[in-house]
Amino acid sequence: MSDLINKTSQFFSSGIIDLFIGYKKGRLGEGKPAFFTKPDQLSELIFDENCIVNLAVYLRKPELKKYSKIGILANFGTLRALLQLAAENQITDGQYLILTVADGKVLEFANLKAIEEYVANNLPKPNPERLALLKEIESKSREERWDFWTRELSSCIRCYACRAACPLCYCEQCLVECNQPQWVGVPPTGLGNLEWHIVRAMHLAGRCISCGECEAACPMEIPLGLLTQKLNMTIISNFGQIPGTKREPDYALSTFKVDDKENFIR
Amino acid sequence: MEYKLIKLEKIQEFINSLIATGKQVLAPKQKKEKVFFSLIHSFEEIAMDYIQTAFSAKSAVFPKCEELYTFEKNGKETILNNPQAPENDTIVFGMRPCDGAAFDYLATFFLKENPDYHFKMRYDNTIFVGLTCSSGDEFCFCSSVGISPSDTRGSDLMLTKTENGYYVEIITEKGKKLVEQFANFFEQIEQIDKTKYVANIQKRFDSSALKEKISGAFDWERWEETSLPCFGCGTCAFSCPTCTCFDIQDEANLLGGTRYRIWDTCALGIFTKHASGHNPREKQSERWRNRILHKFLYTDEQFGILSCVGCGRCIRNCPAELSIIEQVNAITEG
Repeated sequence: MSDLINKTSQFFSSGIIDLFIGYKKGRLGEGKPAFFTKPDQLSELIFDENCIVNLAVYLRKPELKKYSKIGILANFGTLRALLQLAAENQITDGQYLILTVADGKVLEFANLKAIEEYVANNLPKPNPERLALLKEIESKSREERWDFWTRELSSCIRCYACRAACPLCYCEQCLVECNQPQWVGVPPTGLGNLEWHIVRAMHLAGRCISCGECEAACPMEIPLGLLTQKLNMTIISNFGQIPGTKREPDYALSTFKVDDKENFIR
Repeated sequence: MEYKLIKLEKIQEFINSLIATGKQVLAPKQKKEKVFFSLIHSFEEIAMDYIQTAFSAKSAVFPKCEELYTFEKNGKETILNNPQAPENDTIVFGMRPCDGAAFDYLATFFLKENPDYHFKMRYDNTIFVGLTCSSGDEFCFCSSVGISPSDTRGSDLMLTKTENGYYVEIITEKGKKLVEQFANFFEQIEQIDKTKYVANIQKRFDSSALKEKISGAFDWERWEETSLPCFGCGTCAFSCPTCTCFDIQDEANLLGGTRYRIWDTCALGIFTKHASGHNPREKQSERWRNRILHKFLYTDEQFGILSCVGCGRCIRNCPAELSIIEQVNAITEG
């Protein structure tokens, strides 16, 4: 950890960064998000596998605009979010100082290409428990699946914590906030909840970088990450595109290829 | 005050009898990792040894979504229909004393000046059975806001677990009626000293020092710095037992529809966004400031009570682990 603190401290003292977003020790020993503006605060800086919050979510905060250069300590989900944000023209190469720690060593990424390579070499296999859970849901009949999701989504209180925690939900105005016309019912009733979660999942189809923050933030314990995961698997198997692995646009649902195998699009 | 005892083996029968007579019993129930107040169908479903539920039982009197009225067109007329009061009593069973104090606050907020029809309808039909805390955790801070872990305010009956069973304090007429209706489960007992059954909740901050600082805290220069980890999910407000903000929404077609009252939160940007597009609380730090000042200043000015009861839910539920205790201490320290 001292290596990380020393390096970060140097970035401050040489004037390369004036804000560093990392982690400090949380209530149960896990890492919680922390914002450092001075080198002498860095003694609290930590990084380990329990630092799970996706820090890319903070980059859209207007409060950060006053900082000239921001450093970010990225876990794997954050790296993938940064690539996806770059592919969607939300951030640019070189805009942030991006660090991670791998095998006890501090890595500084020279550019997004370096992140791309790192992500490609370290892409984890999907969690077998989650896959089993998805399989279990898929094996249900249509009616049973309907019952499962209407039951799970009935507890939704429409706090939109899933949206707030998602690094890829960066719209200035969310569709659900549009009231002329009101596309999605706002009251947390059965229909409105169903509409909201379908919209959320569809807007993340092929964009979700599987960090799990939506589900972790859900105060009602709804397994909503399963929806985006299922859609992602469909995208991957049909188009071979894995979200959050490329810095250039590579998005099945918004790109057109002249040699598309489907006829309807020609 | 009258005192009773329910023997341990009788509590199960008591709860099951409440259910059998058609009462809606809301009690703490394990969902996955967390415990929620849920409608229960038998005593076995209750998680009796919980420290704090993820959400309070606020929804018993202020649901996340409630019908204000329905409307329908009949020729040139519009017909409005008010919802009817539920036929059966609701019993909130096993709530913590901080939640009791929160219900007391909710009653002040909704009933004091212009009684709210919908709140009153539910509140009058609800019996609150509190449960003394025998333990707490590092997020509990009721004692810092003037509430004790055996506080009886807001409860109709107050239960305290002892070696012999649950010691019952009958606080209100409503509570007395319930005990009379189910008299065979209760035994007469003298008043006891509850002290040894009550958790010791440490003081996490000095409320009098806070009171001195908070009235001038609007222009405090550290709001932004202390709230940076907040990404605006609103879980603090949604799970807060005293947050009362709501939105009104219609679901309708050309023939009629329903007007709903739903929970809202000052943590969301749209909460204060004007039709012009201007937002007086543009940044999350301004929204966070509003929440803290509302709890510790605005309701004190308006009703003479703090609207934070120290339940600790906002800390336990925060995905970024912001702590209202740390925040208040930072304000006090200046």
